[in-house]
Amino acid sequence: MSVQVLFQNRRPDRIATLDEYRRSGGYTALSGILRDKSRRDVIQRVTEANLLGRGGAGFPAGKKWSLVAEDAPFPRYIVVNSDEMEPGTFKDRVLIHTDPHTIIEGIIITGYAVSAQKAFVFVRPSYETSAVILEQEVEAARQAGYLGKHILGSDFSFEIVVHRSGGRYICGEGTAILNAIMGKRPNPMKPPPYPTVKGLWGQPTVVNNIETLAFVPHIIRNGADWFKNLAATENGAGTKLYCISGKVRQPGCIELPIGTRLSEIIQDHCGGMLDGSQFKACLPGGASTRYLTPEHYDVPMDFDSLKAIGHRLGTAAIMVFDHKTCLVGVTLNLIQFFSRESCGWCTPCREGLPYIQDLLWRIENGEGREEYIPRLETMAKHMWNAYCALAPGAASPVESLLTFFEDEVREHISQRKCPFR
Amino acid sequence: MPRLTIDDIEIEVPHGTKVIDAAERLGIMIPRFCYHRGLGSVGACRMCAVKFLQGPFKGLQMSCMIDAQDGMVISTTDAEALDFRRHVIEWLMLNHPHDCPVCDEGGHCLLQDMTVSGGHGMRRFSGEKRTYRDQYLGELVQHEMNRCIHCYRCVRFYREFAGYRDLGALQIAQKVYFGRLADGPLESPFAGNLVDLCPTGVYTDKPARFRARRWDLERGPSLCIHCSLGCNTVAGARYREVLRQEARLNEEVNGYFICDLGRYGFAYAGHPERPRSPRIGSQAVGWQEAVAVACDRLARLGPRSIACLSSARASVETLGTLKYLSKRVGSDHFVCFYDAAVKFKMGEIVSKLDGRTAVSLRDIEKADLLIGVGADPINAAPMLALAMRQAQRAGAKVVMMDPRPLFLPCDFEHLSVSPELFDVCLSALVKSTFDRERVGKHGEAAVTLYDRMLSCDPLDASVQARLEPLIAVVEGCRRPIIICGSDIAPASSVSFAADVALLMGEVKDQSGVFYVLPGANAYGAALFDAANGSSFESVVQEIEDGAIKALIVAESDPFRYVADRDRLQRALNKLELLLVLDYLPSETVRKAHIFLPTRAIFETRSSFINQEGRLQVAEKIHSPGTPIWQVSNKGHPPRLYGTGICGGEPRAAWRVLQQIAHTLVHSQNEISENDPWPVIGGECAVLARHHQHNGPLHGLRIIPQTSTAAFFDGDLDLQPKQPMDGHLTLLPVVSTFATEELASYSEIIQRVIGSPCAYLHSDDAERCGLLDCDRIRIAVDDGFLEIDLTVSDKMARGFLILPRHSRFEWQKLHCFAQGLPVEKIGNCTP
Repeated sequence: MSVQVLFQNRRPDRIATLDEYRRSGGYTALSGILRDKSRRDVIQRVTEANLLGRGGAGFPAGKKWSLVAEDAPFPRYIVVNSDEMEPGTFKDRVLIHTDPHTIIEGIIITGYAVSAQKAFVFVRPSYETSAVILEQEVEAARQAGYLGKHILGSDFSFEIVVHRSGGRYICGEGTAILNAIMGKRPNPMKPPPYPTVKGLWGQPTVVNNIETLAFVPHIIRNGADWFKNLAATENGAGTKLYCISGKVRQPGCIELPIGTRLSEIIQDHCGGMLDGSQFKACLPGGASTRYLTPEHYDVPMDFDSLKAIGHRLGTAAIMVFDHKTCLVGVTLNLIQFFSRESCGWCTPCREGLPYIQDLLWRIENGEGREEYIPRLETMAKHMWNAYCALAPGAASPVESLLTFFEDEVREHISQRKCPFR
Repeated sequence: MPRLTIDDIEIEVPHGTKVIDAAERLGIMIPRFCYHRGLGSVGACRMCAVKFLQGPFKGLQMSCMIDAQDGMVISTTDAEALDFRRHVIEWLMLNHPHDCPVCDEGGHCLLQDMTVSGGHGMRRFSGEKRTYRDQYLGELVQHEMNRCIHCYRCVRFYREFAGYRDLGALQIAQKVYFGRLADGPLESPFAGNLVDLCPTGVYTDKPARFRARRWDLERGPSLCIHCSLGCNTVAGARYREVLRQEARLNEEVNGYFICDLGRYGFAYAGHPERPRSPRIGSQAVGWQEAVAVACDRLARLGPRSIACLSSARASVETLGTLKYLSKRVGSDHFVCFYDAAVKFKMGEIVSKLDGRTAVSLRDIEKADLLIGVGADPINAAPMLALAMRQAQRAGAKVVMMDPRPLFLPCDFEHLSVSPELFDVCLSALVKSTFDRERVGKHGEAAVTLYDRMLSCDPLDASVQARLEPLIAVVEGCRRPIIICGSDIAPASSVSFAADVALLMGEVKDQSGVFYVLPGANAYGAALFDAANGSSFESVVQEIEDGAIKALIVAESDPFRYVADRDRLQRALNKLELLLVLDYLPSETVRKAHIFLPTRAIFETRSSFINQEGRLQVAEKIHSPGTPIWQVSNKGHPPRLYGTGICGGEPRAAWRVLQQIAHTLVHSQNEISENDPWPVIGGECAVLARHHQHNGPLHGLRIIPQTSTAAFFDGDLDLQPKQPMDGHLTLLPVVSTFATEELASYSEIIQRVIGSPCAYLHSDDAERCGLLDCDRIRIAVDDGFLEIDLTVSDKMARGFLILPRHSRFEWQKLHCFAQGLPVEKIGNCTP
């Protein structure tokens, strides 16, 4: 077993308590920085640790925090994104159910780093148990003096509010989440202004994924070099929660050094493919990424390595498909999700995705025509000119289906049925 | 200023110009749906994609979202951009019902234009179309959601721009629905703008529905004359009848929008009972005979025995010619305002509006502090409320002094004080902003006024506490504007508002006073009426004394305004001649001895001067004469034509009056058959200087740069008063859509106005034993008035506020007996 950071207190049957978290060194990072570290020190250490955002975009967390100017107005807010709706992704839920206090301590330190007054933890409503856990443990932290006025006797006061999402995929988008919290229609907003300048109610706001912030206490406690050395690759930093689903023997959420090879994840940590199954493809980072083919079976699973071969790590939710799986059907399934979850703001996403869905449905159900293939290609390409990243994400599986599995699509058309059925 | 290249043409544009607008300056119309200059850019429809070849942005970008910058090279015809835009159109047309043959938007539909210009012709999508259920949105706007292309213009206007909440975007993805939570009339008095804004036929003009195709309308620039703002419109007529109006862009006045009163008030001109033929007694006659008899009877009367009445709805042409006639026939009496107090205030306003004090609606939007003094924008001048909201969205503070329970579609600080306290409140609010030295620049009178402000008695503690934080706002602001009503505001406040605006100009970047006047041409009427000691009261008295024997009433209806109708009727009975010229089926018209039908604004070129002194022109839209719809029994196509006297249709009032003058007066060099302006210029020096037949599009301000009138001479009332316990003062006020004279003849507006309702403070209500929603009875001399009561705590104590509502005989209120006249008789009518 490699080094476990976020999952060090993981138990098979219950969440780690506040005392258990403290016994593992919990809240010493917070008390330490409140004693003798400035907010700049905190940002510097997190920047040095090269902590990249775990929500999918991989933006450096320290850099994002430093965008909140020293003289920016108050109040300032933290938004913690746990609206986990990317298909195949379930790391936030497992993390909250494992060790909630590493998240809470991370949020408080982040609040200190940007001089914020309040954090909103935005939880997917299907995760009601997660929300309840967070509420209970936030209260426990408050009782222990880690939240509220004058935390641990310092000048720093901070509050955490657990906020349940309205329950749509788009609410988790980095700017739509702000509208959702403010009670507005959750349409994304194109920056500028960036949330770090004008976010919630026009005030500076830092939006981070829950996994990102959970690493912060460990970085403060153990140092930037320790964090960087956790990675399996030269450029990576830290560990990563990988969610593996699909045709493997032991699917689940596991913490591994970032940059662990795909083959290693599947073979060594998930017990290999199911009996009689061969690896055909996987989506490496949730439904908004491109199909990864056997050619790249050995790719190190980190941001840079995947980017180098034209793929994205995304949320590191690996969905594994075997040779008996129809990828037209898979893609249709994903597009149904995306076209259902479009916020309806811009035309390509609102009208184009249902169009793509219709074409894929026809191909999958034996009504496909040759001319649908170039039409799908063009439409998927045009999705990149949509307002936010939802439509380009939705186009990724479609584009890669046509790139890597065009023959399979043509078979559907020529046989007038799905060859896998 | 950035220089950029669009389609190989270089252009330099001001900073902040969007690329889509820069292209438009070159005559390159980049397709768009969601972009609207009045609403800004949001990048939703993706229709305006162009290719950025060089500069800080690269590749396909939305031209509405990017400011023009130096060195940009842009192609609007790049193959990738064309292909993308073609796809956007294809996507938008997936679910469109293709019902263009029966769609009122047909012919001016942006979606039609873009479909054709975007190059999408053949339907490739073979899936099912999404369908919606339409909603009932009231009598003005028709809903047809299946046509929607989701540009979000409607909700951006309705919620963000106008500040109303009952229309919004519901659902997500392909099911996004623009409507209300439940069927019901749209609550905003600006809802009609949805018709203009919608790029396809989701919202169409309901009263005009199926009445005409766009290309069959006779359209032309017109004006709204339902309040004093002078919003610009485009009127569209078919078969001698205006069917619909749209907003016309005027950057200085109404911007891109108008209110629903302006859009739907026009139906008075097509009133089925509109008198359209000259009449002697009850006998319809030809024009020649009617005018000849009128002249003959006038000529037989001695000098000084003729009085002339007009009103603030009459055009400059009508007023000027009537004034000319009035002087030539030896009359001292020329009355446009029935209320002597209003007439006095109008004199003050016209003399004090000048280049230093007057501001436009556009200036209101740019202000950072708005102080209302006895003004109720939503009821008296709705578009003013919209401008105030834009100021507030940009950060302005809004303070309103008014006893009424005001509503505004923006946040505001309401000082619910009695009109008697306006002077002292305004004084307390602004005095610390000035210093003696700067005030001194405006002379002795200014210093005296300033000293009086400084020494004024302290206010009631609760009012003072509300004022304290506002005083700091006044001190800190840079662009304050005072919005002053002319209705419930006392004359001293009307005068003081201009004084304060002038003094503010000394210490602020920009300042001004924005008056709300009692009528579309109140400013114009005051120009002719001001230096004139006559009043309506004196006219009535002289009729009673027998001195005045004839009355010429041009486009005015004294019965509408005069409280003592019996006395008015008795006076009219004494007249030897009551000559009435009008286009409304009014009480006065019915009583006329000789009646001459005149043309409404749509039937003759006419000029009006709005509340900031802006002269604007409405063009003739269609020929006068009975609408074919009315003579053909609403059949389509019309088979019958008019049976009236040939050539007997209405004539412009100024032509008729000139004709009478021509007959009666011997020296008549000024009279020109086709031009009223030589005559008008002779009567009003200001207009002689400024009249232009083809003035600038946004009108022509005729105010002097520096007024020669005396500022700082008002009779300020700086004594704070304690309300008299147990005493209720009746306060008749203006009510949106329900007060204005022309609208009361508009069948469309009559369909949508609410029932009249009185307001009483909750303390007063408790004292009188009255509850919210009670039906109350008010004793007047000759009987009772009944009305529903609304109890509010957002108004001043000691007032019973009553609407001048067309379904409430407010004119009788003058007879109000002292004491407690109000009693409950039941509950509100449902």
